Amino acid sequence: MSEKKKILVADDSETIRALLQTALESAGYEVDMAKDGVSAYELGSNGDYDLVILDQLMPGLLGLDVITRWHQEGMDVPVLMLTGVDDDRTAVESFDRGAVDYVRKPFRITELMARIRMRL
Amino acid sequence: MPLDQIIRLALLVIFSVNAALVTALVTLKTVHRRRMRLHEKRRQGYLAVLSRHLSYEHCTDPITEDMAEDPAFLDALIDMRNAITGDEVATLRRIVNRHGVIERQVRHLDSSLLLGRRLRAAVAIAEIGDETAADALMRHLDDREPEIRIQCARGLGRIQWTPAIDQIVSRFSGEDPWVRARFSDTLVGYGTKATWPLLAYVRINHRFESKGPALALRTIGQIQDDQAVGPMLEILDDAADLDVQLATIEALGELASPEALPALVDLLDDEVWQLRAKAASAMGGIGDPEAIPRMFGSLRDENWWVRRSAAAALARLPGGVDALYAALEDEDRYAADAAAEALTDAGELVSARRRIDAGVSDNEPLLAHMERGVVA
Repeated sequence: MSEKKKILVADDSETIRALLQTALESAGYEVDMAKDGVSAYELGSNGDYDLVILDQLMPGLLGLDVITRWHQEGMDVPVLMLTGVDDDRTAVESFDRGAVDYVRKPFRITELMARIRMRL
Repeated sequence: MPLDQIIRLALLVIFSVNAALVTALVTLKTVHRRRMRLHEKRRQGYLAVLSRHLSYEHCTDPITEDMAEDPAFLDALIDMRNAITGDEVATLRRIVNRHGVIERQVRHLDSSLLLGRRLRAAVAIAEIGDETAADALMRHLDDREPEIRIQCARGLGRIQWTPAIDQIVSRFSGEDPWVRARFSDTLVGYGTKATWPLLAYVRINHRFESKGPALALRTIGQIQDDQAVGPMLEILDDAADLDVQLATIEALGELASPEALPALVDLLDDEVWQLRAKAASAMGGIGDPEAIPRMFGSLRDENWWVRRSAAAALARLPGGVDALYAALEDEDRYAADAAAEALTDAGELVSARRRIDAGVSDNEPLLAHMERGVVA
């Protein structure tokens, strides 16, 4: 029996966390949650995730800073950034810092799930 | 009764009343906090239910009548609506319609005696954005409560209900200023569909009033519809009210069309300094370097605000910074100071200092000018 793929969802919005947890678990993924940048960084550093869905604007530590720290520590964690609808800068910078993809908020769940399936 | 007894009695009464008030306040606060906690708990539960409805095609989680009436459910619905886009919004609307959520809120909006409930209903309808509520939203553009009028306009904008455009524009004249400003935001959301109704409104009303038409013109500027340039130049030619003229010029600057340049250049010689200043600013927005020689002349305007506006506009034009550096040597000290100020605002002073510190340059005209001192 194949192991479930493990995803970390880091977003300070409870709505986004609830939505993603339900959608991802219904698709057969194992899901962990973080509601701020610091816990996202800690969980990502200690856990063994197949993918991290990371919001940019979070309390404690910004999403881009979390990616930067992981890369400085030599961690190769595939990250999908969630960015604001007009936030081109974050979208571009997330690629520069090693993210594999980004999705703008508000998002289509079907699109997000398709991008996740593509990665995993 | 002896005086000391009276005093003791009075103190006792005062103490008792205070104690009762404090107890009442603490109780109210405790009850309120508990209500908020329970509200939050229910909201989290509803978020989970809605998430399942969006994630599972045949989700059978019940949404009851009690839930549909619960403000926590409305909050969860609104949060979910703002988190998603595309097909999922349609799915959410189907859930909403199947359980009569919008109908309930329309009933509250129409007939509740409680302002809080009516306002919550207006916000919920606006946020959820369902066309079935369009008629109710249109009716309540005339609601007695300003915030409800604002939310209804927002809701109509959210569903892009075009019959509402004329209705919202026509209310510019009679509305409170802050409601009008929120109406303007809604119209910007309609985009170019709102341009012609706004222009028509200005054409009809600018001879009789200024506030409404001025805001309408600024709204057109924010919409950024190039097709409005020609009609706005006609309005500029025709308008007698200063506020309307200034708003037209400002909007022309936002539209940034070179077609407006000749009219704006003419205004640099107008006898009214506000028009000269606004025209200079607008030319900065258009960004045509052909305007540089004429703007350079405005650095010597008799009015300081015109000089300042011209200098700031020059800083935005390609090649304008060079013109400002040349103006530092102008024999008119006021022109030179205006140029220095604009260069400083553009970051040139910081750059000059860096160049000196790095040894790249030993002669910076802007620094030299600042050391000479500006004219008071």
